[in-house]
Amino acid sequence: MNPQFDKLVGSKRAFFALLLFTFVVMPVMYSAEMITVGQINMIGRYMCFAILALGLDLLWGYVGILSLCQFTFFCLGGYAMGMHLAHHGGPEGIIDGNGWKIPACLFVVYPYDVGESSGDALVPGFWKPFWNLPLTVALGLLIPGLASFVLGYFVFRSRVRGVYFAILTQAIAVASWLVFCRNDVKLCGTNGLVRFDVIAPAESLTTFNPVDAKDKWIESHEGSLDQDLNKDGKLDQLDYSIADVGFSLSSDEVRFGLYLITAACLFGAFLLCRWVVNSRLGRVLLAIRDDESTLCFFGYKPYVYKIFAFSLAGILAGLAGMLYVPQMQIITPSNMEAYRSLLVVVWVAVGGRGTLAGAVLGALVVNLLYNYFTSQHDFYFFSWNPDYWQILLGLMFVLVVLYLPNGLIGLLDKVRGSIGLLLRRNSS
Amino acid sequence: MGKFFLLAVLFSPFCLLESQAEDENNAKVSGNANSVVFKENTLLPLLLELASEDNEKKADVVSRLAQTGEPRLEKFFELYRQGSVYNWPDAEGNPRIVVNEETVMDDDFNEFAPLLDPLSGQPFLVAGKQAKPDLLDLVDISPDRKLRKLVNASKFLIRLFSPDYETRISGVKKTGDPPFLEDALPTLKEIAEDSSEDEKVRWTARESIALIGFGKSSSNLEETESRLVFLEELAELNSLRALARLDSFKTDISELAQSGNLSVSDYDGFSGRISKVESSLADHRDSVELSGNLFRGLSYGSVLILIALGLAVTFGLMGVINMAHGELVMIGAYATYEVQRIFGHSADNAEDHYYLVALPVAFLASALVGLLMEQFVVRHLYNRPLESLLATWGVGYILIQVVRLRYGDNIGVNAPTWARGGFEITQDVVLPYARLYLLALSATCVAFLYFIIRKTKMGVLIRATMQNRDMAQSLGVRTRNVDRFTFAIGSGIAGVAGYGWTIVGGVTPDMGSKLFIVDSFLVVVTGGVGELVGVVCSGLGIGVLTKLIEPMEFGDFTIGPVWGKVILLAVIVAFIQFRPAGLFAPKGRLADRK
Repeated sequence: MNPQFDKLVGSKRAFFALLLFTFVVMPVMYSAEMITVGQINMIGRYMCFAILALGLDLLWGYVGILSLCQFTFFCLGGYAMGMHLAHHGGPEGIIDGNGWKIPACLFVVYPYDVGESSGDALVPGFWKPFWNLPLTVALGLLIPGLASFVLGYFVFRSRVRGVYFAILTQAIAVASWLVFCRNDVKLCGTNGLVRFDVIAPAESLTTFNPVDAKDKWIESHEGSLDQDLNKDGKLDQLDYSIADVGFSLSSDEVRFGLYLITAACLFGAFLLCRWVVNSRLGRVLLAIRDDESTLCFFGYKPYVYKIFAFSLAGILAGLAGMLYVPQMQIITPSNMEAYRSLLVVVWVAVGGRGTLAGAVLGALVVNLLYNYFTSQHDFYFFSWNPDYWQILLGLMFVLVVLYLPNGLIGLLDKVRGSIGLLLRRNSS
Repeated sequence: MGKFFLLAVLFSPFCLLESQAEDENNAKVSGNANSVVFKENTLLPLLLELASEDNEKKADVVSRLAQTGEPRLEKFFELYRQGSVYNWPDAEGNPRIVVNEETVMDDDFNEFAPLLDPLSGQPFLVAGKQAKPDLLDLVDISPDRKLRKLVNASKFLIRLFSPDYETRISGVKKTGDPPFLEDALPTLKEIAEDSSEDEKVRWTARESIALIGFGKSSSNLEETESRLVFLEELAELNSLRALARLDSFKTDISELAQSGNLSVSDYDGFSGRISKVESSLADHRDSVELSGNLFRGLSYGSVLILIALGLAVTFGLMGVINMAHGELVMIGAYATYEVQRIFGHSADNAEDHYYLVALPVAFLASALVGLLMEQFVVRHLYNRPLESLLATWGVGYILIQVVRLRYGDNIGVNAPTWARGGFEITQDVVLPYARLYLLALSATCVAFLYFIIRKTKMGVLIRATMQNRDMAQSLGVRTRNVDRFTFAIGSGIAGVAGYGWTIVGGVTPDMGSKLFIVDSFLVVVTGGVGELVGVVCSGLGIGVLTKLIEPMEFGDFTIGPVWGKVILLAVIVAFIQFRPAGLFAPKGRLADRK
């Protein structure tokens, strides 16, 4: 086949095997009821983490920049999607003075000023663009991309590197976590965004605000509407929610569909990253990792490439966040805590840094282990306490850094190499 | 081992200071014990006189009781006022003063009264059992209306006579708060003029007298004038408590002016004088707040320095990012807790010696953990900062969880008694002893580290290894030992930081990663790596800046800790634009080291 394509996917056999597994075997197993939709959903969520890990591997494995705030960008995308879903969800949608629907979760923790009754609370302006789904998707990629671009611009231009960068990004992760926890930024504080019902209702695709949506709905129901209008000629709150017709997030089909979309995005992100690292650009990125000073002497400006890589990782994180939220059906600031971003580093390190495939593998393996070991298990001689998980995780981390610098992928290569050696010796 | 001996010697002057404070405290405690016995002998006969019929004599007894300043009488007076105090004459007809709050009834509907001791509130024992006589045997001695008023006032007056400084000053202070106690005025005046009394108490008494005068209601010119005179006296005293009550006074006089009881010219004159008072008081308040914030900043900075010092050693000198540093701080705090537990210290048992022992124990505990970490993890990662960051984070995660499984989520370390309260340098500016102690502790640690690095042979070896490891090695320096020692010192100082933290803050397993680690890394980054001076400057700078930013207000928006942190971070990022390698950047070849 096309040699360029071979270069893109790395090991062709493994790539197609995985493709087959994700898009054929899993659906077949699901329809044969060998796995539940809950498990499919779980795999889907872990695939979002894998997209996140891909971005970090591009940064850390290829450019040598360790970012400890990837989950912050993840949450920026997640909150964008969350604001969108919250707009169209929640049965007790209440309409503010401008005719804008107040999302249920916002309503609960809305910090009223003195004299401001619930009746004249207004939906904050920055929520409003997220009414429309295409706009939300665009913003969900743009905002984390822009945030990482601005941050990268200021930090890389002043030649902050290595450990300093890691510490700085961790401080940013902590600060943004604290900010998102506050009620007065009107992102629902520590409760986070909840009460999601549907995704992609018709009104979110065709209109940009609830007022238009209402008009449109009234128009399309001309004649049969008299009983739904109250005496002011306005729609009742309860009736208004009928306008939301979309894909219910709690239905099995939609959850399975989200899994398929996530898987497609994961493969897309993987190919994109492979393409980047195989291009001439990728050579420069590697050169930055290996010897930045020398690269400077050749006339390159490393900060331009670093900003590019950091922004790309930010966009991937935002994409992962946007895919994660409809599957998890909640997004809270606890995802932004500093240790979460360190977890991404654990995934990449365990899988094998600088291989891209390792990042995906690491994210899936560590999270599946997490899933297994955070419940009670009784073995023959001792019973596993979920509290031990953190010890296991810490231990795993130390051991991988010390003894498996190339992660699971490196281990696999080694095993394959020694098996090959064994086979050859036997045959000769 | 010799190294640790050196440590012990270095810290010993510190310990001596503490033990002196101990002795003084103990002396105070034993003195109190004597006076209790003494009081019991004078109080009981006085109490018995309450059984007499003579009202004037009773009033005299009550005021004499109040003057003893005995805190237990406060409760007794309350009971006496309610009429729960009885005379229960014994077989020979001698009076016995007892307390009965509730009666019990037996099956034959006879009411019995379980008795309590009037002073201690414990059951009144006769032949080892609580006495429970028939209600009819008790003689009612409840006070009449006049006496009841006196008793109520005495309840507060007791505090003014208390030998205990804290009780006395709180009593003096309380009389100046509404509802005002006019009966206290003569006593307050006595206190204000008593030259043997503590200066602070006398000042508070004068303030309270003026506040009582100022708090009276006014309906005409003269009364308003007298209130204003009191107010001006308060302004002279720089009384912050008066500031809070100015508004109500202003509405009072404007109401008087509206109702015509005050002429316009008088009103204008009064308003001018009030605003003068207000501005002088507000100036005083602002200067108090500013100096308070400055001190809080210094004290926060000292905590940051204490934590960042250890980091500066491991990060600056060794090129290792120790993400478990916060956990070493936590281990120091838990070592302090463990020592406290072994000494049996509790809120009732003020065993302060533990705090003295805990200092070296905390140091050694963290140093030991640090040494193990160095041996098993860190030594493989020298000069690979990113990997060291990850591996030590893993270690930290394990430490947190192990401690959590062992101790649970929250433990209490009690501050030693001498660390309670504060030192008032000027009026209203109080420096808590605990914070002062932290300042001293971090100054000592800086001096200690400076001494080790600059003045000892070990310090020379450390610097040599840091500057050029291979060269040092080939000149015969045992770099392995130097590494171990340096890492242990850095870790030990983290332990001292945790030890110091216990007297000002809470102790939880994740305190290190939650509270300190990011801030202290920022201190190191801002200060420049490998420089103690940098750590001190940036620590104090960040501390003071934080505490000055936090209380700022713009309109109705107060910055507060969260936005303060965000602003601080922005400032640091901006600062790094100009000085990428921190305040005190390494120069020359060292600068190129990653």
